[in-house]
Order: sequence, then structure tokens, then C-alpha cells
Amino acid sequence: MGNIAERRPDDMSNGVDEIKSGFTRHGNNDYVAYFSPEESEVLVNLVEQIIELLGERTDNHSDDPLAAMVGITTHDSPPEDDVLLRLLPNAYADQVDASEFRRYTELTLRTKKSAHAMSMRIDLKSSPDGCIEVDHEGANAWLGAMNDIRLALGVRLKVQENSYEELEILAPDDPMRGVYAVYSWLGWLQESLIQALMDDAL
Amino acid sequence: MVKLDEAVDAKIDEAIKELLSSEKPWITIVWDDPVNLMTYVTYVLMELFGFSREKAHELMMQIHTQGKAVVSTGSREEMEHDVARLHEYGLWATLQRGDQTI
Repeated sequence: MGNIAERRPDDMSNGVDEIKSGFTRHGNNDYVAYFSPEESEVLVNLVEQIIELLGERTDNHSDDPLAAMVGITTHDSPPEDDVLLRLLPNAYADQVDASEFRRYTELTLRTKKSAHAMSMRIDLKSSPDGCIEVDHEGANAWLGAMNDIRLALGVRLKVQENSYEELEILAPDDPMRGVYAVYSWLGWLQESLIQALMDDAL
Repeated sequence: MVKLDEAVDAKIDEAIKELLSSEKPWITIVWDDPVNLMTYVTYVLMELFGFSREKAHELMMQIHTQGKAVVSTGSREEMEHDVARLHEYGLWATLQRGDQTI
């Protein structure tokens, strides 16, 4: 499973003296975080990419509006893009069963993941001062969306093959270095929200 | 005649027993993944299945150390529902018959 940075990764601190604790719990059902304008912009950017990615295949079934209406897609093959395949994985090892399942459920899965992402996007867009306040349900949407972003970045970083030690020592001019910084920061942010939620469960 | 009926009954009973025993329940498996955080996997298992923190932690550790764990068993429809919910939260899950090799 994934590692997390114990401290907020320096690359993302931007020298802003805001509260650097990620999400914290306020009262019974409020989870609060503050983001700098740069951080908000990064998050909006990433979450919009996920929304776009999840929407890509939905145009394909316009040839059968009735099937689309009841949530059946006309395609049943796994996505060719590695990122999309990780977000929408096969449910069965058996290819025939996997295709059948995908035909009836992929659209619903896309819709649910998009809903998480859109919820996160709206929270960020509707907060000009960078203060995000979510309830338990909102927090779950954020967790799902942040996780999808991390899964997508993880495929690009090839975390399957590259060890975290290797990723830590990427050269300063390696374009993947910035991706890894964002990936680590998101892991740290996700962890802070989980800790705040788990406190709640005690 | 009575003797024959008994023999037939016994045969039917045996057939039913065999049929039932071959209907092993289906299982949902969660696979280890290098991206998902350990605490996140624990949290999702608690949220989706209502597991206690201890039970969820135990399953998470099994996924982490053994590469996989069975997180639920039941009918095929129930397992398809569980897999869909796990996919919604980005866990890598599959379902299969309980008597199949994992």
C-alpha cells in the first residue's frame, strides 16, 4: 500500500504561513481545511482533469439513447488508457464476465466518481478565501476524488514499478518530480482528512 | 413398492445435497495496491461494510502483507454490489465463486 509523507511536503508549502495541518475536525460533523490560492488552483486543475477523463467515453453511447437512459453502455471492453483502466477496473478475472459487468455498471461508476469530483470542485470554486468546510458526506466525496487523482498520478508515476525511494530522488529537472510532489502532498492531505474522520469514529 | 420409493427418495435427497453443496457462495476480494493509503483502506472498509476499526484494520493488514483478502461473501448479486461500491472509492476489488482458486 501507499506511503505518506509525515510532514507536509516542502515543495507545496509556498512559504505561506497558513494553518498547515490539512483537514481538522470542528465540532461533531465539520471538517475544515485552508488552502492558499495556488493550492486551490492545483486542486481545481487536477479534479477537472478527472472529470474530463471520466466523461470521455460517455459520448460513445449516443447511438443508443434508450440503453443510455437505463445506464447501459454499448461498449464492454476495458478502457485502453491505463489511468482510466485503474479508475474503472475489471470486476472479474474472467473476460466474458468482466465485459458483461462493465456493460451494465460502468456508466454508474463513472457518474458516481464524477459526482465526487464535482463536489470537490464546487467546494473549492465557491470558497474565495480558501476555507473548505465539509460534513461527513462531503468529506467522503473529497476522499474518493482525492484518491482518484492519486490513482491517476500513480499510474503516470509508475508507482507499481518504481519504489518510493526511487521517486524521492528524482532529479530537479525531471518533469516527474513536480508530479511526485503533488502526489505526496495529496497523500498527506488525504491522510489528514482520514485522521479527522477516524477521530470521529472513536 | 415401499422399498422402491425409499430408494428413490434417498437418491433425490442425495442429488439435492450435492446440488446445494456445489452452490458455494461468491466472494469479494480486495487486492493490494501501491497507491491506496493503509488508513484509507481501513476507513473505506469501515464505511462500506460497517466493520469495527479492529476488524477493518485486520483485513487491511492481510491485504497489505498477503496481497489480498476476502472482505465479503454472499450471492453473486450481493458481491457485484460490493465490488461496485469498492470501485467507487478506488479500491482494487474483484468477485468470484468461493470455490474457485484465488
